[in-house]
Amino acid sequence: MTQAPVLKVENLQTRFKSVQRDKYVHAVDDVSIELYPGEIVGLVGESGCGKSTLGRTIVGLEKASSGRVLLDGVDLSALSGAALRDSRRALQYVFQDPYSSLNDRQTVGETIDEALVIAGTRSPEERNRRTKELLDQVGLASAVSDRHTRELSGGQRQRVAIARSLAVNPRVLICDEPVSALDLSIRAQVMNLFLRLQKDLGVACLFIAHDLALVRQAASRVYVMYLGKIVEHGPSQELYDHPSHPYSQMLLASAPEVDPRIEKNRRGPLMIGEVPSPTNPPSGCRFRTRCPLAVDDCAKALPPSRVLSPGHTAACTFAGDLHRGKRSALLQQEVSAA
Amino acid sequence: MNMLNPILARLNKMPRAALITIGLFFALGTFAPWLAPQDPSTQNLLEAGLGPSAAHWLGTDHLGRDTFSRLIIAANTSLVSVGSVLGAAMTIGILLGTIAGYHRGWVDDLLMRVVDVGLSVPSLIISLAVIGIVGPGYWTMVLALALAWWPMSGRISRAVAVSIMSKPHIEALRVLGASPWRIYFGHLLPGTIGSVMVYATADAGTAALAVATLSFLGLGIQPPTPEWGQMLVDALPYLESDPRQVLLPGLALTAAVIGFNTLGESIALNRIPKPLTRRMLAIRRAEVASWSKENSDA
Repeated sequence: MTQAPVLKVENLQTRFKSVQRDKYVHAVDDVSIELYPGEIVGLVGESGCGKSTLGRTIVGLEKASSGRVLLDGVDLSALSGAALRDSRRALQYVFQDPYSSLNDRQTVGETIDEALVIAGTRSPEERNRRTKELLDQVGLASAVSDRHTRELSGGQRQRVAIARSLAVNPRVLICDEPVSALDLSIRAQVMNLFLRLQKDLGVACLFIAHDLALVRQAASRVYVMYLGKIVEHGPSQELYDHPSHPYSQMLLASAPEVDPRIEKNRRGPLMIGEVPSPTNPPSGCRFRTRCPLAVDDCAKALPPSRVLSPGHTAACTFAGDLHRGKRSALLQQEVSAA
Repeated sequence: MNMLNPILARLNKMPRAALITIGLFFALGTFAPWLAPQDPSTQNLLEAGLGPSAAHWLGTDHLGRDTFSRLIIAANTSLVSVGSVLGAAMTIGILLGTIAGYHRGWVDDLLMRVVDVGLSVPSLIISLAVIGIVGPGYWTMVLALALAWWPMSGRISRAVAVSIMSKPHIEALRVLGASPWRIYFGHLLPGTIGSVMVYATADAGTAALAVATLSFLGLGIQPPTPEWGQMLVDALPYLESDPRQVLLPGLALTAAVIGFNTLGESIALNRIPKPLTRRMLAIRRAEVASWSKENSDA
């Protein structure tokens, strides 16, 4: 990648006040990611690992407690008021639930029109033309324009939401599980829409999902997140073929297989135990409480990121061995169970 | 007709008797000047205290004024004063409530503590204090009652505003970079007004009772404007000799209050989040009871 990243997140930290006094929930802890123009990047992890919070913090829906978000090299945390709103507009968010993300009182036309007004399109004719164009881009007939959003199906509503995001000409689209609330049959359609838009418009896309197969199909690079931290990151082909963090290995192995014969012969429950509380994360490596490879040293310090191949890093002491296939978290689990 | 069907279906679900009572109240109140058969203020001492007759359908009062006309004009007085009290109270309540719900943080804390203080003092005492300072009169009464009434609508508006602000479609606007003005006036305020107006219906009965109470005490609407509470006071000396004079305005007031309460509760139960409604309805029932107790004590 010789291009400059369009979105650069540096050491971002988001914490929430806990119900317990003087304690904080570290939802996102020291996360750095990069997005290059026109690429789709996946962000995967279990529920509650902070992937949605990371997305929401990047677009400013949650307040970052430290760290920086740079959009085209401009530090957003240094801006405020109207200047911040204007700069951050290039960063758009697609919500998981298309039912609550649209105002039921508005028609489809009004919803998109409002986004165009916010983006500063003055002339009504121009807005009309753009509304038609945007609806066409997301595969909706312009006749939908006069319908109330509550009259539409989930898939249609998500298309409207995407059209609304595109109305402000974003450079980066952060999609928070954009298809998981949709019917299986609609999912593929909306996914294909994303791929087409990314190709046609060159919008970079951070795709937050727990559906690993979906991410593999769409993303060129993948970040794996666990308990507020990025544990592994790399090109998706490489990462899916050679997962090198014990967590990634177990996460990938726990995805159900389509073939029932393989599914039946799978090793037992792969993910053992619960995710520890982010209020009180384990010392050292955060995965050590569930890791079959954990040794005493893992509790002492955060394992450094190891570069395994160009662009592929994993934060585990044994990453090198795991990457070369000398060890496996999955085999180790069987050994310790026996 | 197609446009009317959903409205009719909704009306059908409401308690019919209450709906008819309130419908009648609104019709009489709105068209009172044209409906009243006689001038409500014309005195004729020769006909004072007469029972029902062809000339005076419901008889006359102690000054010989036509009771039927006075009752109808009093509906108008009541409608207008209740409307202005609720209008003023809702305006203050919705504005402060939505500001608290929009800003949260210390603004929210401050405004809600003010609301708490307002709610903890009985509304009759607030009204009496205001009237005591400014002096009795129509607009003083409206002001006094509005000051006593706004904390409740402020509390509800804030609850509604908070729930609207946390909806993803407001978050989507923030991500689009909408200005605070657009979010507040374009989305938050219209959404809140709709829900809080529903609650206002439930409050109208208590407000009507409060207007009557203050007028009964001589602190609200001043004679010769016909008003139910005031008609009760005028008729009080004749309670034993001619109970008709007391009964008629009493019945009119009772019907209006019960009608508003029943209708308001049925609407509120359908439209506003359940736990909130339950608490609010309980508070309001206690409120109605306290005003009517005040009435009987006086």
